[in-house]
Amino acid sequence: MIEAVWAEAPEILDLVHDSIIVRRMDGTILQWNAAADAQYGIARADALGRRLQDLLPGEPPERLEEAEAELLEAGTWEGELTRRNKSGDEMIINIRWSIRHGEDGTPRQIVETGRDVTEVRANEEAVRLSDYRFRNLFEAMAVSFWEIDFNGVGAMLVALRDQGIEDIRGYLLDNIPVVREMLRQTLTLDVNAKTLEMFAVASKDEIVGFHTERYWPPENLPVFIDSLIATLEKQPTFIRETVLLDHNNNRLNVMFTVTWSPDTRKRGVVTLGVIDITDRVNAERKLQQIQADYTHAARVATLGELTASIAHEVNQPLAAIVTNGEASLRWLGRAEPDVGEARELAIRMVADARRAADVISRIRDMATRQTTGRELLSVNDVITDTLNFLRRDLQSHDVLVAFNGAPGLPQVEADRTQLQQVLINLAVNAQQAMVQQGVENRRLNIRTAPIPGGHGVVVEIRDNGPGISPDLASRLFESFVTTKPNGLGIGLSICRSIIEAHGGHIEVTNNGGACFTFSLPVQTQEADGGDQCCEMEAPATDMAGASAN
Amino acid sequence: MRNPGSSVQAERAISIIEDDESLRRALVGLLRSMAHEAHGYATAEEFLAADKGGLDCVISDIQLPGMNGLEMLRRLRERGNTVPVIIVTARDEQRWRAEAKASGALCLLRKPFETQDLLDCLDRAFAA
Repeated sequence: MIEAVWAEAPEILDLVHDSIIVRRMDGTILQWNAAADAQYGIARADALGRRLQDLLPGEPPERLEEAEAELLEAGTWEGELTRRNKSGDEMIINIRWSIRHGEDGTPRQIVETGRDVTEVRANEEAVRLSDYRFRNLFEAMAVSFWEIDFNGVGAMLVALRDQGIEDIRGYLLDNIPVVREMLRQTLTLDVNAKTLEMFAVASKDEIVGFHTERYWPPENLPVFIDSLIATLEKQPTFIRETVLLDHNNNRLNVMFTVTWSPDTRKRGVVTLGVIDITDRVNAERKLQQIQADYTHAARVATLGELTASIAHEVNQPLAAIVTNGEASLRWLGRAEPDVGEARELAIRMVADARRAADVISRIRDMATRQTTGRELLSVNDVITDTLNFLRRDLQSHDVLVAFNGAPGLPQVEADRTQLQQVLINLAVNAQQAMVQQGVENRRLNIRTAPIPGGHGVVVEIRDNGPGISPDLASRLFESFVTTKPNGLGIGLSICRSIIEAHGGHIEVTNNGGACFTFSLPVQTQEADGGDQCCEMEAPATDMAGASAN
Repeated sequence: MRNPGSSVQAERAISIIEDDESLRRALVGLLRSMAHEAHGYATAEEFLAADKGGLDCVISDIQLPGMNGLEMLRRLRERGNTVPVIIVTARDEQRWRAEAKASGALCLLRKPFETQDLLDCLDRAFAA
């Protein structure tokens, strides 16, 4: 056929896209079309009469012999051969050979069509390599990887949208059974070794081919819902800290990540990465415990500074009891015992003993490990109690205290012991600063006011001491910053921790002395209260006029 | 234990200045149980304002709201009042002993005090 065509219109072969080479059985090239010229960079004139295997080396001779043997047997041969072109570049050619027989039936010529597939093969190789690397990473990473088929879930989401539901997130939060069904529609296609290890699974067979509902504790379904929404909104990644369940239903603290590539998204496949953060969570817990210990130590240290006050608090009722006891004995020891008087005194002694026990109990509450826990309380009441506690100490250092509590303050959610600790710390600091500086008329003014909008309470504690020096002001709340000769420097940093843990802020300014202001929101928030802190209207009257305590 | 009331005469007039209510009442009660006439005041200012005459003894705490006990004592002396004054304090008495004496106090007692110590001081006061 080709011979006929060739005989009649050799130019037609030149129009063909593939290279066409005709050779004798010994390899001598008889025909060489334009495409062959272009493909190998060898002109027809230079090719004709040359042996093909010399002109286009590349394959070992054995390979060629093998191929030709097959050709002779089958009459055709098809395969890929590596050939070097004129410039010496290696090419991969997709080859088809067929034999032309002479009239006597003997093989005379070999007709070859060839197509350059070098680039195609290179791309395939690149993809394969990339896939290999991915597989390697997938398997070897210390991250638990999952390939999940999401098509079933996708269909359900589309159905919801078709129903006209706009707020899918809200709908799903209200329809947990639907969410569970979606989880049952997921299909695990593959996981890596780390997944087996992390989720306490013996072999892939226990995971691959199953759905993923079992891994989600009910309270974390909102995280799964959020990942669905992220998918719908075509976000490139989704990362969230959460808790999942392993195959023994043990809880795992993890970082849950979902990624999609345009490719996998089309196929409805997602890659999940799950990172074990148990260690980090444990470390955080330990840190919180240490902070609690630290706060407690600071509380005890502060109490140590108040020993004089404490001893006094307890000694007063004790002295009254002793005195009353002596007096009772006198009444009873008279020639005519006055039982009535003695009874009166006995009643007073009981009351005094209770008072002492009360004081000790209050002190013990301050010193013991357990804080009272958060409750709704009146800031004014706590301040009043604290000032009662401190009264002796402040008086003994000649500090005049004035407390102006705003009426109608909202109750705040706070820990009573911790709030007292902050107040005591600030008051004792003020007292010590004024004593240290030898201030003549020592004053401590405390004021409360509502935060505009009713979101909380602001407390202001002002002294007429030396104030805070400018170079200290920015660092004052850091640990181990102190102006006291024997100070530990932990009190104010603890104060800040406590206030901020309640969602409030604490700051200090100089206002004729040091002025500490802190805010407490009505409800504790973890996030910072930002712009709500610490703005107080100037007092209507001078504090000196307020009732002294 | 000595017989109650054996070492002091009856019917002495004694003023007590102590801001802790329960202790003040206890002291007044004790003195009355010894058949004395006793009055209590919560602050030095109240006592000075009352300006009670014919006192045989004054018992006062140092730590008081407003004017403290030693300052009150000095005022009394400035007025020419020589009434014997017994000072009681819950704080470090060593520290206050010198100043109390210098201000004109007869005795300094530390709270909680032994009743007998108080009685000894009263003896000295009435003997003066």
